[in-house]
Amino acid sequence: MPEKGKIDSKQAVLLMISMILPTAILTIPAVTVKTARQDAWLSVMVATLAGLLIARLVVSLSLRFPGQTLFEFSEEILGKALGKMVGFLYIWLFFLYIGSGVVREFGVFLVTAVMPATPIIVFLIVVTAVAGYAVRNGLEVLCRFNQLFIPVTGLLVIVFLLSTLDMKLDRLLPVFDAGLAPIVKSAVTPTMWLGEIVTLAMIIPYLSKPKEAHRVAVLSILITGFFLTASIMEALLIFGPNLTGHWIFPTFNATRVVSIANFLERLEFIVIMAWVLGGIVKVGVFYYAVVLGSAQCLGLRDYRPLVLPVGVILVALSILLHGENIVEVLHYIPHVEVPFLLIVFEVGIPLLLLIVALVRGKGGKSN
Amino acid sequence: MIVLLIMAFIGIVLFEAPGLIKKKMWRELAAFSLYLSIGMALSIPQVLGITLPNPTKAIEALVKPISELLK
Repeated sequence: MPEKGKIDSKQAVLLMISMILPTAILTIPAVTVKTARQDAWLSVMVATLAGLLIARLVVSLSLRFPGQTLFEFSEEILGKALGKMVGFLYIWLFFLYIGSGVVREFGVFLVTAVMPATPIIVFLIVVTAVAGYAVRNGLEVLCRFNQLFIPVTGLLVIVFLLSTLDMKLDRLLPVFDAGLAPIVKSAVTPTMWLGEIVTLAMIIPYLSKPKEAHRVAVLSILITGFFLTASIMEALLIFGPNLTGHWIFPTFNATRVVSIANFLERLEFIVIMAWVLGGIVKVGVFYYAVVLGSAQCLGLRDYRPLVLPVGVILVALSILLHGENIVEVLHYIPHVEVPFLLIVFEVGIPLLLLIVALVRGKGGKSN
Repeated sequence: MIVLLIMAFIGIVLFEAPGLIKKKMWRELAAFSLYLSIGMALSIPQVLGITLPNPTKAIEALVKPISELLK
């Protein structure tokens, strides 16, 4: 087996939070508020419920095959050839697609909001190199890096609390203005983000107590859902739905508004810190899934030789796949990533695998 | 730019390949070369200013009915 490290359940929860949250917290509010308007926070709650279902599906599937990752048990369920094909689809269309998307969003945010004069390629290469270094040292190192820096994400709660001074509750009114349909429709985008929990199927075999995987999944989805709801509420309560829908990074702008006694100002640096550190971990998790998955699909003894080439591919794809500018990057999220990745890779294939496993009687009993 | 990129690729090969050859991990070496050549095929044209077709556009056309439904 290429990976020998073990992580405990707490580390896994923190890793999953960092895997979903950093890009979600900045990009989701704008996308969701456009369609659901002031009810966007309700959509995120619907999405959290859907995310719990996806997590349940993936963990049940994964626990039927103890000690095996997504790539190993898909081979066992579907047979060698088909299983390897599913594995390669996951590598090239899911993990590499999202991974390169995160690299690109990381660069796009820093260039647009913070450092407009720097060429974007600098950020793309730097984040991939740092994540690659962590991945090369193994899952344990990635988890410890994350454990060290996740308190910064916790600081976001303080920022949200400080910005309550500028909030007005009546900006959320009227509730259910347009009915249920827009709420459910705009819940699809956050569901795609929370559905990235599929990656947990790569991590479960390396948990020191795999039995706790259900709890890990539920906890990480709930905490992430809470942070997402909080960030959307913050933007909505400060700006109202019209302004929020027109901004690219509403949460970032909302933290800029905070000014306590003309002294405590410019708190956006906390958001930037959470973004940079979380972005590195997020890239790292998908990077790790690509590298470990490729090693298992190709039957290698060690995944480390693949780290540098995959890094090159990640940077190249992040420019190639996600359009030419920030407008296209954000256009592709609801129009390509959401329908395609959510339906095929986060729900479709895991469900298919579970049904085939049940029909063919493969794997032990779950739980 | 192209010189820098080629130097980066040579650097990656020098960093990984000797160790793999010494340990006789031929399978790993083959996978390494495969992935590195994919990386070269994706990155060198971009540096030279040749626009590669964007697969995302194909996927977008493919899932268009669904994304229309969600609008």
